[in-house]
Amino acid sequence: MSNLHAQPLLDVGALQQCALIDLTALPRIGFRGTHSADYLRVRGFELPEAPNRAVLQADGSQVARLSQTEYLLLGGLADQGQRIADEEVSWELDHNANYLLPRQDSHAWLQLSGACISEVMAKLCGVDLRPEAFPVGAVAQTSAARINVIVINLGPIDLPRFQLLCDRASLAYFKAAVLDAMSEFNGALLEPEALRH
Amino acid sequence: MKVMICPLNGPRNISEFTYGGEFKPMPNPDTCSDSEWAAYVFNSEDTLGVVREWWMHTPSSYWFLAERHTVTDDIIRTFDPRELFSTRVEFTAAQPQEIAG
Repeated sequence: MSNLHAQPLLDVGALQQCALIDLTALPRIGFRGTHSADYLRVRGFELPEAPNRAVLQADGSQVARLSQTEYLLLGGLADQGQRIADEEVSWELDHNANYLLPRQDSHAWLQLSGACISEVMAKLCGVDLRPEAFPVGAVAQTSAARINVIVINLGPIDLPRFQLLCDRASLAYFKAAVLDAMSEFNGALLEPEALRH
Repeated sequence: MKVMICPLNGPRNISEFTYGGEFKPMPNPDTCSDSEWAAYVFNSEDTLGVVREWWMHTPSSYWFLAERHTVTDDIIRTFDPRELFSTRVEFTAAQPQEIAG
């Protein structure tokens, strides 16, 4: 896999074709509880209407609903996830059923983008992630490469992309497994800077 | 591959699920006898036929109930536990008994 080392140069072509970007350094948190939805709405977040759905926020943050009462918040690149990091700091335990779930150290975060992401995932995962079965806004909590992952489809039509979250301690393994699956599609590992353009 | 239908996540490979034991109504821990509590915690009925069981969808840590036939291993129905648990169960901590001495 010598051709799959991170490329510091921008590579829009690779993004469009098949690219993996490690976003583990970006902030992310979760909230859970019967009052979490009200809490997040007051904080200005637009929430998915149903479990296993996700919504892209105006500032580029992403909110995925993992169950009736659990939400996962992913930071956006525009502010380096500062808004989400601030949410972690400002939360306080009170009498409301709204509990903070630290996700920075529990989950690693990869973004798979390009025209053939569903073909790549089909090699690793039993769930049908083709656009007709897994449209934009869908979330799948499943098993890929034999470990638990959350797959979030929030890419625009012109650049399909899946956000993949897995156990943080399994990042090296999972990244290698995805890159191996990407190799037949000329996949590339890019730096997060590639997304700025 | 055997497929189970998770009430939250839809049809998934059986390898994504973890078995959680037979579903049994909990006796009142304040009033039941030790043997009733032990039966609830440790013992299994091992029924031949349709049973209700706890299962968890492991990637989402979601617990639900399933009705399964223990002979044919057919999964007849899966459903959210809120169908049976509509109110929160509160436990009052028993006062520790003072040991005279």
